[in-house]
Amino acid sequence: MTEQDPKAAAEAPKEAAAPAEKPARHGPPIVIAEEVLNERGEQTAAQLASTLGTLVLDSAGREDNPWVRVDAKELHAAAKKCRDGEMGMDMLNLMLAVDWVDRIQMIYVLYSTTNNRKVILKADLPAESPAIDSLTDLWEAATWYERETHDLFGVDFPGNSDMSPLLLYEGFEGHPGLKSYPLNDYEEW
Amino acid sequence: MTTEPQFETVDMMLNMGPQHPATHGVFRMVLKVDGEKVIDVIPHIGYLHRGTERLAEVETYGQVITLFDRVDYIANLNNELAFVRAGEQIMEVEAPERAQYIRVILAELNRVASHLLFIGTYAIDLGAMTPVMYGFRERERIQNLFEHVTGARMMHNYMRIGGVKADVPDDFVPWVRQLIGEVRKGVEECDKLLSTNEVFLGRTRGVGVIDGPTAISCGLSGPSLRGSGVPYDVRKDDPYEIYPYLNYKVPVGENGDCWDRYYLRMLECYESLSMIEQCLDQFPEGPIMAAGRRIARPPAGEVFSHSENPRGDLGVYLVSDGTDKPYRVKIRPPSFCNLVGLATMTRGSYIADAVAILGSLDIVLGEVDR
Amino acid sequence: MNVTLSDAITLSVQLFALFNVAALAAVSLVWLERRFLGRLQGRPGPNRVGPLGLLQPIADAIKLMSKEDVAPGSSQRLLFYASPILVFVPAFVVWLTFPLARDVVVRNMDMGLFFFVAISVLSIVGLVLAGWSSNSKYAILGGFRAAAQLVSYEIPIITMILIIGMLSDSLDFVKVVDAQATIPFIAVVPLAFVIFLIAGLAEVGRTPFDIYFAESEVVGGPFVEYSGAHWAIFFLAEYVNTFVIGILGALLFLGGWRWPFGADLPQVASVALLMGKAYFIVLIIFWIRGTYPRMRIDQLMAMAWKWLIPLSFVLFLAAAFQLKFEWPWWVLTILSLIILVVPVIVQSRKQRNPALELAARYAANAIVVQAKPRPAPAVEDAPVVTPAAEGTSV
Repeated sequence: MTEQDPKAAAEAPKEAAAPAEKPARHGPPIVIAEEVLNERGEQTAAQLASTLGTLVLDSAGREDNPWVRVDAKELHAAAKKCRDGEMGMDMLNLMLAVDWVDRIQMIYVLYSTTNNRKVILKADLPAESPAIDSLTDLWEAATWYERETHDLFGVDFPGNSDMSPLLLYEGFEGHPGLKSYPLNDYEEW
Repeated sequence: MTTEPQFETVDMMLNMGPQHPATHGVFRMVLKVDGEKVIDVIPHIGYLHRGTERLAEVETYGQVITLFDRVDYIANLNNELAFVRAGEQIMEVEAPERAQYIRVILAELNRVASHLLFIGTYAIDLGAMTPVMYGFRERERIQNLFEHVTGARMMHNYMRIGGVKADVPDDFVPWVRQLIGEVRKGVEECDKLLSTNEVFLGRTRGVGVIDGPTAISCGLSGPSLRGSGVPYDVRKDDPYEIYPYLNYKVPVGENGDCWDRYYLRMLECYESLSMIEQCLDQFPEGPIMAAGRRIARPPAGEVFSHSENPRGDLGVYLVSDGTDKPYRVKIRPPSFCNLVGLATMTRGSYIADAVAILGSLDIVLGEVDR
Repeated sequence: MNVTLSDAITLSVQLFALFNVAALAAVSLVWLERRFLGRLQGRPGPNRVGPLGLLQPIADAIKLMSKEDVAPGSSQRLLFYASPILVFVPAFVVWLTFPLARDVVVRNMDMGLFFFVAISVLSIVGLVLAGWSSNSKYAILGGFRAAAQLVSYEIPIITMILIIGMLSDSLDFVKVVDAQATIPFIAVVPLAFVIFLIAGLAEVGRTPFDIYFAESEVVGGPFVEYSGAHWAIFFLAEYVNTFVIGILGALLFLGGWRWPFGADLPQVASVALLMGKAYFIVLIIFWIRGTYPRMRIDQLMAMAWKWLIPLSFVLFLAAAFQLKFEWPWWVLTILSLIILVVPVIVQSRKQRNPALELAARYAANAIVVQAKPRPAPAVEDAPVVTPAAEGTSV
């Protein structure tokens, strides 16, 4: 936007007033998707609500996959209830972290091979020193997912016995998955 | 009280380093061995980490498709399919039927090519040097077809959100029909040469056994999980594209050893070839791209979609913030999850078995490290 | 004994000729193996260097000789450089007793067979030393595996040689070939030929018994730290040994230079006949290499100790009885054929190969997914988006 420099002086006071997080966007307005569950998703959501009860803070979902948001401290208990109860979620299909700049959201996708149902558990962690209980005692797949998330996002998992770097080399400083990690303009050597 | 003299023994750490002919890419396995038996396996990955997920956050959706090509560089079209379907879910468009048929035909051909590569490299890891030549001869035919259709032998960048990039050439259907016949003969040759060979059986039967519940808990998927008796196949359990309109069989193993995992892939080759024939019989005319915007600017939201790669269940969790670049793309690589089971399978076996077990998991490091 | 100058000169010329023959044979095997394996695998094999790729071994040799000579820092240098010689020399020394025709032999000894066995065992020492002096984990592992494998498989080979010695009533190669004037020993004891071939494969270290230097496992085994010329010596010794197995098989089992044409052939033809038979056995060895995967070291040792050694002792006893009680020659043939053929018939009848059962069961028990009926194609009144307009890339 270098050709707009003469205008920048005029725009500067407006931009200073705007929230410091996002610069003024140019482009079509952002559309928020509506999350609609289909019939099977509704059944799974009902089962999930009855399994987790009061642990649920929010819930919604698309198509077949309902999601619920639980408190970070309750996540281990919620996951255990999903695994051991009637839902029978015996596979941890995916675990990821999303860096919304003010918080880090952990998302766990669970799958039941016996019932062929999928649910998604979400938990919000604070952006500085995020930590959440490890799920390695429930599913062995969690070991590597947690190591990877620790490498890339800096999330700590007390209870996971082996937190050595998985994808990054030893001695790497910083967490490249975070939005604040520069994609270029940094020196490595 | 008599005590036997205590010898201090140290287990030897044998490093099958990043450079090793049998580790299928830059993968380092440290084996703790006691003589010839393996006590523990410590895999080290990350040599091929290219930051795909982070790069995807600064590229438009069309550019991310090229990133997905390179995630599992053997099954390119299957990866593209997984991402493109996630994009279509979040944009709430559906690809027209002809595009879906083209996609499934190419994805199944890519599955056959990937399994042929697996058979060849697995055989040569174990010392049989001939199936790899036969397998690559057939792969060459398939890649010729890909070049004809998509313009590239690998890294096709052919699928788009809403369809495919360009229509198939006019001689596509007869070419593919002839191709299926030739590839089927090649697969049969490899099958007859290897599957019931006594020495091969001795190397793979009873080796690297993992039982069903442990496999599920480790997150295995694909033929590695089906070898242990768990009938989980995304095409069957969560059907997508035009798979509901095809007749096919999903073979399931019983023992969870290396031979099962190998032979299921061999059977899958035959199944894929018959699926392609059915697709060709049902091949419709029509548009190959959904009507709508060319530049994908999906609504803000999250979507999870998965598809059956040759290696397992490739999942894509796509978080969009409403702009034309994704906010977060998380790839669930099947090989990454399959490697979690490596330690369980290898404990207690011989060093030579470690190579056989690693080969039977059919990992691709591009997928493991992203 | 008086050694005159002319004796010395004759001997030198003979040794030089022998060395050339052996080296040429080994080098021709390099070319033959690559072309033959290429044909098996549906590709041409070397065809660039020289007509039909015949100069390929020369190119290989030049490449290997011109490589940098690297030794690991912590290796025992003297032993490190001496081990290739220890492996290479016995492979050539045994050629002293091989008669390529009745009179084409450097020193025909009365105990030719014994000489062969005694000298060829020395290369095992060389292999173990190679592994140990390299001072590297893979090398040590490989050296131990090599020692175990080679020593175990010496027993069947020696027993088979003993049987041939008994049947021909002499340890002299020329007399062994003469004893096969009418019937080659392969017809008398086919089982001995089979055991000899299998044990010979294991002695040389060829697939399916090449695990001790298998590339995909211990990346070279005892040879892993050797480069360039030193590795070339090991490589050459392996090919010479392969050809030795071929010549031994031709001499001991296939009738040498006599059968079936008799003793009156001109010398050149005799040598050619013997070489032809040796190459035939060598081609079988290459064919096996192209087909089979490698056996694991414990399976290999189990096969030696549980199957080959007991069988070879049984055969030895049978041969001894036949000679003692003067049974006709075909008693051993029938015994051998029974031991060879009956298990094959039993196996194929009962489908005892477990993989065939499993394969059939997996194919049969596969979960069948039925196709749903496809909805009728949409009516063509929706705006058709042609590929030309929308098919270009984003």
